[in-house]
Amino acid sequence: MINDFAERRMNKKSVVTFVFAIALAFVFFVAGCAKKNIFVLLPNPDGTVGEITVTTSKGTQVVSDAEHATEVSSADVLPSKPVKMGKATIEENFGKALEAQPVPAVTFTLYFKSGTNLLTEDSKKLIPDVLATISSRNATDISVVGHADRVGREDANRRLSYKRAVVVRDILTSRGVDPGFLEVTSHGESNPLIPTADEVAEPKNRRVEVTVR
Amino acid sequence: MILLAGSPGLAAKQVAGVVKNVKGEASIERSGQITSAIVGAKIYQKDVLLTGPGGSMGVIFRDDATLSLGPDSRIVVDEFLFSPADGKFSFVSKITKGTAAYLSGKIVKLAPESARVETPLAVLGIRGTRFVVKVE
Repeated sequence: MINDFAERRMNKKSVVTFVFAIALAFVFFVAGCAKKNIFVLLPNPDGTVGEITVTTSKGTQVVSDAEHATEVSSADVLPSKPVKMGKATIEENFGKALEAQPVPAVTFTLYFKSGTNLLTEDSKKLIPDVLATISSRNATDISVVGHADRVGREDANRRLSYKRAVVVRDILTSRGVDPGFLEVTSHGESNPLIPTADEVAEPKNRRVEVTVR
Repeated sequence: MILLAGSPGLAAKQVAGVVKNVKGEASIERSGQITSAIVGAKIYQKDVLLTGPGGSMGVIFRDDATLSLGPDSRIVVDEFLFSPADGKFSFVSKITKGTAAYLSGKIVKLAPESARVETPLAVLGIRGTRFVVKVE
């Protein structure tokens, strides 16, 4: 059932554009006395489910269902067939580790007017949210990544995407963010949100992504 | 490809992550020295993350992955390399005791084969997922 759901979601995404590899969550446990190693796959924060492999000298077990666990009792035995682990057992064994999970990173996408390093009006309105997030998380590790669409020469777009990242950096530092917390990079025409042919204008690729950790 | 970076002096020893939560007894072992883990502490490749009987801690890495430890746990951040501009990725951690929770980040998204977790008895890998691209 989880797989059907995941598949339908993936097919939906494939019609739209570019699907990223799925992030996954797992927990594992090393038991003192019994010396078992236990691996449990959990759903991602967005509800999707990834896939893990657990390998010993005897072979590999794949786990692709949420809350399913595989156990390894010795190094020369195949990991056990995945079995669903109840929520109470998960909480009992992994509750403290799960409680200590950091809040996942959040990415803000700021868009620019074509060929310029000027933010769109809508994107300017996001700046207070970015600042509030940095503040509430006491974030000290923030990346600012500039991009451009494929209109124009590649080298010009590299410079443009860097200028865009610098604009955002300067906005943030002028509002009190420590410049030492910001890693500023640019990808030029690479890593588009929406892949296009060369020289195709795509507003969604003219952007700076700010990821707050 | 030219990578323009804003932070000055990207030293050979680059930060892998930052401690975001600490509860009770939690420490970092580096080059034989053990110091208490505090929120905001930087984590580097080869650091050992340690928790005591009542301790727990959570770290977020530069590629957005998170790793948290329950009590009585020990994890080595054996390899961490995140350099998308050069296409260089690696995330290998070794848990020798205790419990941990892990949420994968961009290294797994971009290069799943370069990430793994080693336990005393097995190796955990992340299988690549299918994806399709449509260009209209």
